[in-house]
Amino acid sequence: MALAAAEHEVADWPEAIETCFERGWTDGLPVVPATAPAVRRFLAAAGQAPDDVVLVEATRRRSITAEKVAINAVLAGCRPEYMPVLLAALRAMADPAFTLHGAITSTGGSATLVVVNGPIRQRLDFNAGGNVFGPGRRANATLGRAIRLITLNCLGAQPGVLDRSTQGHPGKYTYCIAELEEDSPWPPLHVDRGLPREASAVTVFAAEGPHNVLSHYGETADAIVVAIADTMACLGSFSPGESFVVLAPEHVQILARDGWTRPRIREALYAAARRTVADLKRGGKLPGAVEPGEETRWMHRGQGPDDIHLVVAGGGAGGHSAFIPSWSRERNSLAVTREIP
Amino acid sequence: MTLKILDPTVSAEEATDVAVAKRVADLDGKVLGLLHNGKVNGDRLLDLVREQLATRYRLREIVVVRKPSASRVADADDLDRLARTCDAVVTAIGD
Repeated sequence: MALAAAEHEVADWPEAIETCFERGWTDGLPVVPATAPAVRRFLAAAGQAPDDVVLVEATRRRSITAEKVAINAVLAGCRPEYMPVLLAALRAMADPAFTLHGAITSTGGSATLVVVNGPIRQRLDFNAGGNVFGPGRRANATLGRAIRLITLNCLGAQPGVLDRSTQGHPGKYTYCIAELEEDSPWPPLHVDRGLPREASAVTVFAAEGPHNVLSHYGETADAIVVAIADTMACLGSFSPGESFVVLAPEHVQILARDGWTRPRIREALYAAARRTVADLKRGGKLPGAVEPGEETRWMHRGQGPDDIHLVVAGGGAGGHSAFIPSWSRERNSLAVTREIP
Repeated sequence: MTLKILDPTVSAEEATDVAVAKRVADLDGKVLGLLHNGKVNGDRLLDLVREQLATRYRLREIVVVRKPSASRVADADDLDRLARTCDAVVTAIGD
C-alpha cells in the first residue's frame, strides 16, 4: 500500500515528538508520531485506500484523503478500530448543513461535539457514564482530539490564522461523549434522528461548551424543566439556534417517574426558554432602544421544540445536567447524524 | 536506527478544482464586483472601498452582491454572475 505523505527522518522517538511540535502538527500537547506501518494498519482497519477522499471542504476546496485522516488519528492516540467512527464523523461534518468552514474559523469559537450511539459504544469502550465530558477514556479523548488535529493540520484552522476564535473553549481539545442508552426511558438520539435502533451512529454539532444545570433539590419533573429552561434562556448564548440537553441519570429518573416523554420535555423547554425583546435589547443581543410593547414580546431559544436534542449521559449520582448551545445563531450550522457502517 | 515520520498536513496546492484568475493591471474602464459577506457593517466597509477606488480609476460599472449569511458559502449563481460580469471582485467582512 503506497502512501503519498512526505516523510521526515528523525533519530529517535523523542526527536520525532519534538519534530511534530516544531512543524506545528500538534494541538499543544505531545502527539504520537505517525510511521508508515502504523498508518497502513489504520487504513486496513477502515477498509480504505490511502487516496480515498473522505471530505471536501466546500469553501476552500481542500480535499482530505483517508491517508491524512489515518495519520492524524495516529497522532491523536487513537486505536485503528476507531477509524470507522472518525470517518463517519468527518463525513457528517462535510454535510453542507454543518457549514464546516464557518464552524472551524468563526470568532464564535465552537468545537465539534460528537455524540456516539449504538452497539459500537461498548465495542470500542466509549464513556457514557461518570465524568462523560472529562478525561480518562481513550476512545472519547482521542476521537475528539483526532477531529481537532484534522481541522488544524488539514483544513488550515490554526489559531490566529484561519481559526479566529475570540476565546474558544476547552472542548476544542476534545469533545466526544456517548449516550447512556441503557439508562434512558426514551429512544436514543440516533433513533430520534431517524436511524434504526440496532445501528451505530455519530451526531456532530458545532457547539459552545457545556453549561452546567445543577438541580439537586428539584424532586419533580417541573423543577428540573424550570432549571434547564432558565439555563437555556441565558442572554450570553441566547439565539434561535439548536440546543443539546445532556440529561444526567438522576434527572432522567425523576422525569421518567413523572411520566414525561421526549416530546413533552422538548415542548416544555421550548415554551419556558424565552426572553423578552426588551431584555434582548438591554443585553446588546438585538440592536436599538427598547420600544413600547417589547417588555411583553417574547423570543424563544430555537425555532421550535424539535430544535432541542435530548441525550442521556453522566454518572449515577448527582443532579447535574448540561445545556450545550449551538455555535450557529440561526440555521447556518445544524446537527448532522450519520450511521457508522 | 532512524525513524521516518509522516506529514499530517494538507497544503493549499492540494486544493481541488482551483485556478487563479488573471490579474488586471488597473481598473480603468473595468467592471468591479463588490461581494458583501453578510456581516454587520460589511456594506459600509465596501462603500468606502468603492469610494476610494472611484477616486483612482474610471470604473465602468459596479456589481454588488450580498451573501445572505456570513457563515454560508456564497451562492453558486452569485459567484458565476460575478465571474461572468466582473473584471475584479473585492470582498469584505465587517463587524
